Amino acid sequence: MKKRIMAAAMSAAMAVSLAACGSSDTGATTAAAGATQETGAAVSSDSSDGKYELALVTDLGTIDDKSFNQGAWEGLKRYADENGKTYKYYQPQEQSTDSYLETIGLAVEGGAKLVVCPGYLFEEPVYLAQEQYPDTYFILLDGEPHNADYSEYKTGEHVMPILYQEDQAGFLAGYAAVKDGMTKLGFMGGMAVPAVIKFGYGFVQGADAAAQELGVQVDVMYNYTGQFAATPEAQTMAAGWYANGTEVIFGCGGAVGNSVMAAAEASGGKKVIGVDVDQSSESDTVITSAMKMLANSVYDGISNYYAGTFPGGKTTTFTAANDGVGLPMETSKFEKFTQEEYDAEYKKLADGEITLTSFSEGNTDPTKDLTLQNTTVTFVE
Amino acid sequence: MIGVVQQMMYFSIPLLVVALGAMFSERSGIINIAMEGIMIMGAFTSVLFLNISSRFGLAGQLQLILAILIASATGILFSLLHAYASINMKADQTISGTALNMFAPAFAIFVARVIQGVQQIQFVNTFRMNVPLLSKIPVIGPMFFENAYITTYLGFLILIISAFVLFRTRFGLRLRACGENPHAADAAGINVQRMQYAGVMISGALGGLGGLIFVVPTSVNFNADVAGYGFLAIAVLIFGQWDPLKILGASLFFGIMKAVSASYSSIAFLAGLGISSYFYKMVPYIVTLIVLIFTSRNSRAPKAEGIPFDKGQR
Repeated sequence: MKKRIMAAAMSAAMAVSLAACGSSDTGATTAAAGATQETGAAVSSDSSDGKYELALVTDLGTIDDKSFNQGAWEGLKRYADENGKTYKYYQPQEQSTDSYLETIGLAVEGGAKLVVCPGYLFEEPVYLAQEQYPDTYFILLDGEPHNADYSEYKTGEHVMPILYQEDQAGFLAGYAAVKDGMTKLGFMGGMAVPAVIKFGYGFVQGADAAAQELGVQVDVMYNYTGQFAATPEAQTMAAGWYANGTEVIFGCGGAVGNSVMAAAEASGGKKVIGVDVDQSSESDTVITSAMKMLANSVYDGISNYYAGTFPGGKTTTFTAANDGVGLPMETSKFEKFTQEEYDAEYKKLADGEITLTSFSEGNTDPTKDLTLQNTTVTFVE
Repeated sequence: MIGVVQQMMYFSIPLLVVALGAMFSERSGIINIAMEGIMIMGAFTSVLFLNISSRFGLAGQLQLILAILIASATGILFSLLHAYASINMKADQTISGTALNMFAPAFAIFVARVIQGVQQIQFVNTFRMNVPLLSKIPVIGPMFFENAYITTYLGFLILIISAFVLFRTRFGLRLRACGENPHAADAAGINVQRMQYAGVMISGALGGLGGLIFVVPTSVNFNADVAGYGFLAIAVLIFGQWDPLKILGASLFFGIMKAVSASYSSIAFLAGLGISSYFYKMVPYIVTLIVLIFTSRNSRAPKAEGIPFDKGQR
């Protein structure tokens, strides 16, 4: 009897939790709608017909995730507010190609002429959506549309995939760190995927450029941790480097950076460089971040669309030349490195005066690819 | 070298605490491979607590102690699911444990998203301390008493208590009896189910605590992940042959190998040897395999572990 009561109680509990799942989903959708209501007059003025021209489908997480969603949304919002366009964001219920595709469909039904998809997880949904919605324009950030098994890449005339020149962002970070007076640097990447390698190569070359200008010798510890997770291994490696005199570590691989921050906090006075987005809010030890300027690229894409010059059909790479990468100088905590120095170096990158060496096929070790003058790289396997 | 010993504690203490937890469960006859899931749940609620309470100005050791209590309580609650399934329902204990392991990260991500939108829960680490006087001792001071966490000492305290409880108390004797021969224990008038519940709940408390200890020094946020350390703790338990002191040895061994493999690049002597870090990473597992090969004959595993206790089979 007792057992039966327990069983009944447990099944009741399960039913309740299922119901909770359902209701919270609707909760999320209403919350999203509510948020757009607040964002600006443009939405409410046009909400009589319930159509929103510009749409953003969020990746994992919410619109204020301090990451891709937020960056992309800021660019969209800025354009729409300046030009009186209606806009809205849609939140998929789960992380899956089907759910993302379905949400893109919702956005199209909601009147979207252009849909912004932030993050490489949208590569497959956009690949499918470009067939289904030939009249809707898409901006895909940090990826290129391909099918499920990567066997086919295809970009329609109405799709604009955006990639970033990561090595330039890394270059600026390395340059700034050495210019700021540091001579012992570290780079801890995640998995050795192209984006991470590019960040690392750029970082080393930036450090070397500044070292040559200042006539100092710079040491760089260099490692790919092999994963994108926060682990005691990553924390221990960072702590070991810090203990050996490394002053700043570029934590370049998702949560690996969080382990570096933990090590920096424990080491007292040591610094971290963040990646992708402005990570200064995650720890006081973050002095700057090698950023992809999502807001700028989204803004650019949308204004091109309205100007009738939508650069669809091919991948657009954002570089220093079109303000696509950079450091968040307003939140950076440099002591000597100034805005003027930053601007000057940024201009050189933008004008193509500085060309960066990329990695050779099948190699991830910068000591093999790069010829450095004032920098010694210790590649840690 | 001093740094390596200090770092070693970040690996060893969670492994020690979690392995001791699993030991209590297995000694009572219930296999608990849900330690990974329990760690995640314990870390999840306690880090969430750290996140929320620091908004109200709570910080320092008091906050950490409260978080420890919350982590343990969560672990106990979560382990009850395993206890109910494997003791009352006589379910396959491996499957029940696996289910909990799969449930925990999903739950942590889901709830974190509902509460705060992002799955990473940030916390501010204000728990490092220098122990007065002791940190001034040369060599040992910086190793154990500088930038230290109270959880390190708590880990050793738990070890001493565990060894005492298991071998020097009536409760410990009964618990071990249930793991070796539950029918004999039952005949002697011991309530086997109650002892097994106690074993699993202790494993829950220590597992949840281990999750918190694992996360705090390692990161600045919790991302529904303890990087497989729950499973590693079970390897430590087996390597330690279900004996508290041997478990200590095993966790220190795993810890030092992990610390060396992660930090060998900053130890001039080891970097000079030119041995790949993969070697150090492999050693603990290879040694575990070798130990298992040589001890499997007379393994000290509790005889009745994994077999649901059925009074009627006597």
